[in-house]
Amino acid sequence: MIQKVKYSILFCLLILSNKDWAQNLYTMQFVVKEGATRFNFSDTLTLANDSNDVQITTLKFYVSKIQFLKRHKIVFEEKNSFHLVDFSNAASLQIAIASDSKLSYDELRFNIGIDSATNVSGAMGNDLDPTKGMYWTWQSGYINFKLEGQSVLCNTRNNEFQFHLGGYMSPYVGLQTLIFPVKNKTKVSLQLDISKIITSIDLAKSNHIMSPSTEGVLLSKIIANSFTVYHK
Amino acid sequence: MKKKIVTLAIFCVVLSAYRFVKEALFVVPVNFPEPVYDFSKNPLSPPKILLGRALFYDPILSRNNTISCASCHAQFSAFTHSDHALSHGIDDKIGIRNSPSLINLAWQRLFMRDGAINHLDMQALAPIHNIAEMDENIIHVVSKLQATKIYPKLYYNSFGDSIITGEHTLKAISQFMLTLVSSNSKYDSVMRDQSVFTDQEKNGYLLFQQNCASCHTEPLFTNNNFSNNGLAIDTSLRDLGRFGVTKIASDSLKFKVPTLRNIEFSYPYMHDGRFKRLSQVLNHYTLGIKKSNTLAKELQNPIKLTSNEKVDLMAFLFTLTDKSFLYNTSFAYPKEVFAESTK
Repeated sequence: MIQKVKYSILFCLLILSNKDWAQNLYTMQFVVKEGATRFNFSDTLTLANDSNDVQITTLKFYVSKIQFLKRHKIVFEEKNSFHLVDFSNAASLQIAIASDSKLSYDELRFNIGIDSATNVSGAMGNDLDPTKGMYWTWQSGYINFKLEGQSVLCNTRNNEFQFHLGGYMSPYVGLQTLIFPVKNKTKVSLQLDISKIITSIDLAKSNHIMSPSTEGVLLSKIIANSFTVYHK
Repeated sequence: MKKKIVTLAIFCVVLSAYRFVKEALFVVPVNFPEPVYDFSKNPLSPPKILLGRALFYDPILSRNNTISCASCHAQFSAFTHSDHALSHGIDDKIGIRNSPSLINLAWQRLFMRDGAINHLDMQALAPIHNIAEMDENIIHVVSKLQATKIYPKLYYNSFGDSIITGEHTLKAISQFMLTLVSSNSKYDSVMRDQSVFTDQEKNGYLLFQQNCASCHTEPLFTNNNFSNNGLAIDTSLRDLGRFGVTKIASDSLKFKVPTLRNIEFSYPYMHDGRFKRLSQVLNHYTLGIKKSNTLAKELQNPIKLTSNEKVDLMAFLFTLTDKSFLYNTSFAYPKEVFAESTK
C-alpha cells in the first residue's frame, strides 16, 4: 500500500515538474509596412514610396496587457505584461508569451502604451526602467509611442520631426487598446503601416509633439488603426 | 523534538529582529496619519538608505559633476535653497522657481510646486534632466555610476546586484528622502503632552487655527492641495503653476500648499521666493491678496490680524522648528561612503 502511495506521489511530481517543460509558447511578431514592403528592423528607414524624402530614425512603443479571449471572455492574460518594441533592436520585435496550457482563443487583445495605474506606481525595472528613454522627466508619465525622423518638409533643425505620444490623465489619455480576431495561432504577425501614419501628419505644419495633448491623442488613435494582422 | 523547538526559537528571534529593524527605519509619528507612499514596493533597508543618501549628496548626477541634490536642498535650511528667490543650478543657470523643502515626503502624493511629478520615485528624474538644474540624463548617470569604484559595491549591498539600473537608482534616492521625517518640534511635544505652549504661542496657535489651518492642515501643515493664494503674477516669469500640467483653466495660478514645518529656516517664501521674511508673508495675507478667478475661497475675505497678533502667530510658527531634524547627522553628507572612494 505504502509503496503504491509513494509511486502515486512520484507520478504526480513528475507531471507537475513536466508542466513547466510543456509550456506553450505564443509569439507576436512586429514588422513595419510601407506599401507592399515589410521591414524587420533598421537604424534608419527611408520611405521609398514617399516623395517627401521621409526617414524614420526612431520607432519604439510599448505593448502591454496582452490577453487571449474566447467568445469575448479572457482565457489567458500575461502577467507583468510590459514590452518595449524598438525597431533598432531586432530581439524586441518578437514577444514570446508562455502559457501553462494550450490556448483555445478567437481574439488577441493588447494595449499600445502604459495604463494609468502603472503610470503612478513609481520606479519600475526591465522594459519600464526610465533608462529605456520612454519616460517624461519634467512631467511624470510614460511615453507610449516614439516616432522620430527627418523630412524635407520640416522647417526645423536638421529637418527633424519628433512625436512623443503619451498621457494617462483625462482628457489626454494616449493608451490604445487593439483587438484582432485571431484563431488559435501560436504565432501572430502584426504589421504597422508607417505610410498611413506619415501621410496623416502634415509635416510642414506639425513636426513635434512632446506632451499629452489633443494632437497627441489624435495621432495615437491613428497609430492604433495602423496595426493589422497579416498572414505569411 | 528539541531540535525543532530550537529552530523555531531561532526563527522567532530572527523574525522579531527583522521587524524591529524594519520598524526602526520608518516610524509613523503618533500624531501623524498613515503615509501615502507604498513601502511594500520599495521596502526600506539600511544599505539602500545609505546608497540613496550618497546619491543625494553626489554631484555625479549632474552633467559636469558640479551639482548634487543637496545643492538646492541643504539640510540646515530644511532641505531647500536658502537665500535665493529662484534656485540656481548648473553653470550658474537660474531656474524659474524656489526649490521646495524636503520634509515628510512619505505623506505626499504629488511633487514639485505644480505637482508635475506623480510619485516620489520619479521626482529625481526632473532635476537630473532639467537644463537649468543638472542637465544630465538618467542613462548617462547610470553608466557614470557603474564606472565608479564605490557604487557597484553599494548597489550590490543594497539590491544584491552590482549592475546599476535606473529603477534601483531612483528607489534608493526615494529611500533616503523617505527618512526625512520632521515630527519633533515643540508643537509636536505639546500635542503629545510632553510640553506646553507659552501664552504667546498659545494665542498664535488659536489665530493659526482660525486663519491658516484650512490649507496648512495639521499635523503635516499642508492639505497637499493646489491653491491660488493671491500672489500678483510675476510678469517676467509668467508662471501659471498647476495649469501648466493639467491645462485646466480652473488650475491657473495654483501652486502646491507647502508645509510650514521648519519655516523659520526655509526662507525665502512662496513658489518664486519673493518674500524674504515671514513678516512679509503675513502682510501679504492681510494686505496683499490679488483677486482673480481662481483665488482660494478661504482668501476671498481678507484675513484680519493686528500687529500684536502677527507677532503671536509668528511665535507659534517658530514652534514648528525641529532641531533634531535640521541637525540629524543621519541626514548629513555621508563622508564615510565618499572617504572609501579616495582610498
